[in-house]
This record gives sequence, structure tokens and C-alpha cells, in this order.
Amino acid sequence: MRLPRRILAFAGRLLSQPGPLASVLFLVGLALLAAFADRLGIDPLAQDIAASLEGPSAAHWFGTDELGRDIGARVIHGARTSLITAAGAVLIAGAVGVPIGLVAGFFGGWRDAALMRAVDVLMALPGILLAMALIAVIGRSQSAALVAVGITGIPSFARVTRAQVLSLRKRDFVTAVEAFGGTPGYNMFRTVLPNAWSPILVQVVVLSSVAILLEAALAFLGVGIPPPTPSWGEMLRTGKSYLHDAPHYAVLPGLVLTVTILAFDTLGRGMTRLLEDRDSGASGLKLEQASR
Amino acid sequence: MPSRLRRLGLSGLLLGAAALLAPGASAADLKGGKLRVAIIGDMTNFDPMQFSTVNFPLIKNLYDSLIEYTPDGKAVPSLASDWKIAPDATSVTVTLRKDVKFQSGAPLTADAVAATLKKGADPQKGKNVYATMSFVKDWTVVDPQTIRLNFNGPAPERQVTDLLQFLSVIDPAGIDTVEAKPAGAGPFTLGERVVGQRIVLKKNPAYWRDKEPVVDEVTLTVFTEDAAASAALESGAVDMVYGSTARSAVRLRDAGYQLIQGPGPLVQVFRINSTRGPFKNAKFRQAFNYLMDRQAILRAGYAGLGEVVALPWAPASPAFDKSYNQAYAFNIDKAKALLAESGLPAAEMSNWKLLVNGSDEPSVLISQIVQGSLAKAGINTQLDVQQGAEFIDALLKGRFDAVFGGVGNVQKFPTRVATNSIYRTSNNPILGTPHPHPEYVAAIDKVGTTTGSGDQLKAAYDALNKSMVEAAFAIPTNTYDTGLTLAAKNVSGFTLDIDNMLVLRTVGFKP
Repeated sequence: MRLPRRILAFAGRLLSQPGPLASVLFLVGLALLAAFADRLGIDPLAQDIAASLEGPSAAHWFGTDELGRDIGARVIHGARTSLITAAGAVLIAGAVGVPIGLVAGFFGGWRDAALMRAVDVLMALPGILLAMALIAVIGRSQSAALVAVGITGIPSFARVTRAQVLSLRKRDFVTAVEAFGGTPGYNMFRTVLPNAWSPILVQVVVLSSVAILLEAALAFLGVGIPPPTPSWGEMLRTGKSYLHDAPHYAVLPGLVLTVTILAFDTLGRGMTRLLEDRDSGASGLKLEQASR
Repeated sequence: MPSRLRRLGLSGLLLGAAALLAPGASAADLKGGKLRVAIIGDMTNFDPMQFSTVNFPLIKNLYDSLIEYTPDGKAVPSLASDWKIAPDATSVTVTLRKDVKFQSGAPLTADAVAATLKKGADPQKGKNVYATMSFVKDWTVVDPQTIRLNFNGPAPERQVTDLLQFLSVIDPAGIDTVEAKPAGAGPFTLGERVVGQRIVLKKNPAYWRDKEPVVDEVTLTVFTEDAAASAALESGAVDMVYGSTARSAVRLRDAGYQLIQGPGPLVQVFRINSTRGPFKNAKFRQAFNYLMDRQAILRAGYAGLGEVVALPWAPASPAFDKSYNQAYAFNIDKAKALLAESGLPAAEMSNWKLLVNGSDEPSVLISQIVQGSLAKAGINTQLDVQQGAEFIDALLKGRFDAVFGGVGNVQKFPTRVATNSIYRTSNNPILGTPHPHPEYVAAIDKVGTTTGSGDQLKAAYDALNKSMVEAAFAIPTNTYDTGLTLAAKNVSGFTLDIDNMLVLRTVGFKP
């Protein structure tokens, strides 16, 4: 019960800053549009070749693409693609990366060395190259992009979690739980992890922006989600061919992508700043000591 | 808008045709100098039997063929000053010019033609020429300037001239190394090649055509992006672009640059693997004749440059029949009727994927158009987008349900269409052996053996066309240009090649 209160307090402080507040409003709005895109009466696949490459108008706010499809509708449905990919990728990266970091940091020794070397190997591979290789093996689809982007995010979650666990592992409240007979599993998941959540949460926001960007990059390179599924990266890829005739085609989806990334980054920076303030004692947020 | 685009395309063709200068006349009127040409993609090798489009900028500039075709398909002399088909149509006697020398200095002789024929008849070395040699039994060197080609049986005249036009004569001394080092009698010699960057051609001082080539040197600069090549033309960094995309071609034409379209387009064909899934059903396949929104495909995929076609023939082909365009126009209702006749359950009709060449932007676009049309008829299929080697492998080995792919030689004798994989009548890599459409195979054979009057030939062509739409394993949609050429205003003297290859011997600068 006390954890949600702390989160609410943290959120309250975060949203008292204009940058993060604007970011959250934008991202929530985008998520709502993406979630209810089917009910907006806009079809991202409806073709009208006679109306291809038209500029923004009352009928088509973002203009039309080379097949006469509404770019605005495709941007909104593309948001769904991007946000689902980001959410799925973060889930995969977190579900694998956090336990790795937790075990490595908690136990140390050979387990730490082995797990971290494996993570180092994963980190040594450029994310986009790794994602492309994975897609080459498992084929092009939204789930393939999601898994590929998720795997590239595992190292960052593992490293952040490990660093946080290492700093908590020798704290008195952890030692106390051990002294009272708490098993390593109990100690890891009930004592250490709840106190390590804040940098992981920041990592969720950071990886979300990276995942959206990586998904767009894969689509731009022609290995992302296959057409005709709307994707921001795919729109950029195709739109660049029409920069002379229809600059709106690439510019408007590019603008939405840029603002989305900016929103995630602004939110992430705001959270990081708050956490730094907390760690230096300025925020008044205190680590809960031996809560159980 | 489409009609405007067609008019503009026609004007481009007429402009190109108007710029076609008779050899000699062009040389007198134009200035020489150094010509800078942007090409899209680097060449593979110097073998004139390797008819890859990336080699099209070189073949007609380093080699000459025995005869040539005018843009309207009339055979005219080149290295052969004369050719006579025997009255029984079982042989042709070719007389060579006496004043031709290879770039090595060796004279052109009948032995050189025999060596070239030997290479063409070799399944490994003959490459694209090999299939065209199928009706040739053997050949006899009559004298140093005369050679006779004997056929397996009577051969139609157009089939014979197609072969003579296809044969670029190679110097016997260099025939074994021709992939690495050109060995022709063409208007230019190789000056320099920097892989991936440029190819420099120098004027052949011993060239046999009077006052040709006009320019002293040609630099072919390799671009990987069409947009970059277009920008180079606009900035004055190059004088010409060869192999432009239709969209860039239309844009630059509208901006005042010269657009030259050749008479040898490709035909885009929706290829169907009739040995798989629902495509085994003839009625299901025939529905696709009506499911192609050809106007939309031409406009979105090729900026309106080309013609809609329901048969795999360019207008210059003797089998071309425009009435099929009307008879098989886009019609969802007719398609639905055939789909109902097929008796296939709805789930089975959608149980296949459309393979797409992800590296080819028009293919991605037109596949989405077809996907949309199919959805209107109740067929919901997925696109299987593959890139590069993965796509080529699937295409050539027939590992697909359906796919768009261009076919060539559509302006020549109709049997030449059977050199394209989907149209092969034997050893078809997609449809297998025995060929699942014997009526089509019989129609091709009939065309290839009919040497009689015009009416007999027309009947053979009609039967072939009918068999194609009924078998419906390949649904043509439109012609499109390969080798679209854009040029600055001060460049002139373009010679249109029947295969849309780049011919530079008559090109020069306006005074």
C-alpha cells in the first residue's frame, strides 16, 4: 500500500514540471488516439489513386500518399504500431534484463561474471544490426520487430538493475532480512527489487523512445513491419522518394515521430532529475528502510 | 490526369523518335567532346550475351550486332551487309561487311561469327542468347565474309532476324576473356573502369560507320540512387542520366529536360504459380484477369509512363492485340462471378501470399494496389516482402504463390516471350515438368512453326493470345520502360535501340 503512495508522490512532483507535464499529455493523447483509432472512422488502407499525393486539406489534414491513402489516418494507426512495439519491446527487455541484473548484482561472484559477460556480448553488437539479423531469421512482422527491438534492450535493463542492486545489497535493511532468515529469493524480490524500481522506471521511458526509433529505423531500411500496415518509419522511407512532389508526405509523419521521441526523452530527463534530487536528499523522498 | 500523362508520355516518345538521327547526318550536325552520363548501378561484366539491365549502357557501345531494328521493328544492316533466308525457310545466309575491324585490329570474318555462334549455343556460356539459338541446328562458313545458319526446320522470318539482331559479334581472340575484357567491334573502346565508380569509354578510331562516334570520350558515372543522379543532371554535373525511374523522368521532363523513351519496354506481369493452393483452379486464376486495376498500377507505379496491357506484348510485337485491354479491363463483378464459379471456399481463396520484391519500389506499390482490389472481391491476402537475393531465389525457383515481375523481349517475335521463366514451355522453373498448360505450349509451338501467309500467322497469334488468358498463369498489367534516358538540352542525336540499350555512337552536343 505504501509503494503506490510513493509512486503517486513521485508522479505528482514530476507533473508539477511543465516539460514532463506536456510530454505526458502528448503521450496520453497519442495513446488514446492509437487505442481508439478504429472508432474514428478513418481507414488507413482505403486507396484513392486519383487523389494521390495531395497536400493537406480539410478532407485530409496530413494530405494523401502515393496510393491516395489518408496520411493522417496512417499516422494515427502508425502510432498504434509504434506504441505496441515499444510496449512489447520494453516488456521483453524488462522481463529478461531485470532478473539478470538482479541475480548478477545480488549474488555476485561467478554468476555475476557469467551473466555480465553475456550481457557484454549482447551490448557489443550494434542494436540495429542485431535487430536486422533477428528479423532475417524470423521474418518480417510486427511481433518480429517487437522481439528484435526487445532483445536489443535487454543489456540496458540488466546493467541498470545490477548497478542499483549492488548499491542496495550491503545496506542494513537487506542484511537484517538475511539475519532474520529471509531466503535469497525473498530478499531479492521482496526487499531489494522494490527499492530498485526508480531507475528501472526511467529505463522503461528511455527504452520506449529507443524502441520507437529503432522500429522506425528498421522500417526505413525496409526490414520493419511489412506494408500495407501503417508504420512511421515506412512512411518516412516511402515519403523520401516524393520530397520534390509532396514534401508533406515525409515531413508530417517525421514531425510526429520527432515530437514523440522528444516527449519520451523530456519525461525521462524529468524523472532522472527528480531521482538525482532524491538521492542527494533534496527531494524529501526517502528510501524506505527495512519496510518489512 | 491519366490521359494527360499518356499524352505527355506519347510526346516524350515522339520527341525521342524525332531525335533519332540517321547515322552520318547526326555526325555532321553535332559537336564532339566529352560526354558525361549517369548510370544507376554498376555493370556486372563485358559479355554482350549477358543481357542484364546493368550492362545495357555498355553492350551497344562496345559491340555491334549483325543487324539492327529500327524503332518500328524493321530490320536494317549493321555488321551484316545482307542476309537471305532460303525459300524453304530452313537457313539464312549472312554476308558480312568487309571494312570492319575489331578493337584489337583483327578483321571481322565469318569465323568470328562462327565463334560467337558456338558460344551462344553453349548452355553455360550462351547466357541470354542460348535460348534464342534453340531453332539453330548448325552453321557453315561459306567464305571469309559469308556464313550460313541452318535451322531445325522452317523458321519464321522474324524469328531469324531476332537472332541476328541479338548476336553481338565477339573477337575470337578475346572470346574466352570477354567477361573481364571487352572484345568487340563497337564504336568505343574501354578506357578505364573503376569498380563501383565509373567506366570511361574512348572513341574507336577505326570504327566503320562514317563520322561516328561523335563524341571523343564518354564517362559513365555509377550512381546508386536515382535521386542523386537526377540532382547531378540538374546541377550540370552530368549531361545525361540512363536508367532513371519513371517518377524522376516525369519530373525532369516537366522541368524542361529531354526524356527519351525507347521502343523496347518490359511488361509487368502478375505471375501465378498454378501448381500451388487455390491457383490450381482455372476459374480462380481467370478471375485475376479482371482483378488488375491496370490504370491505377500504371499511374501509381510508373508515373503513367507506359501502356496498360492484358497480353505480354509491346505495340511493336506482331501478336499485339489491343482489344484484349478492353475485354479484360478491371471489373470486380466479373471477377466475383468467376470466383463463385471456381467453387472454392472463401478461406481457401485467401490462403496464399503475394511475394513482393522489397528492393523495387514500384513492385511494393502495385502489390498493395492489387491487395486492395482483391480485398474488394473478398480475397484477403498478405504481402510477403522479401529483399535482394532472398527474393530472387524465391522468384527463380518458383517458391511463391504469386508475384509481380517484368518480362522482356515483348516487342519481338512472340516465341521470344518463352525465354522468360514464367512463360517457358519446357523446363519451366516455376510450373515444372510436364508443363501444366499444354494448350499454351501447343500455341507457342504453332506460332514458332507457322511460316505461311499473314492470315495463318494471325490465326496462330490469336490462338496464342486466347490460350494465355484462359490458362491465366501470368496476368500482364502494363508496359514500363527500362533504360529511361534524360538529357540536358544541349545533347542530341539519340538512336533508339529495340531493347532500350544505351546507344551513344550518334550522340553529340548541339553546335
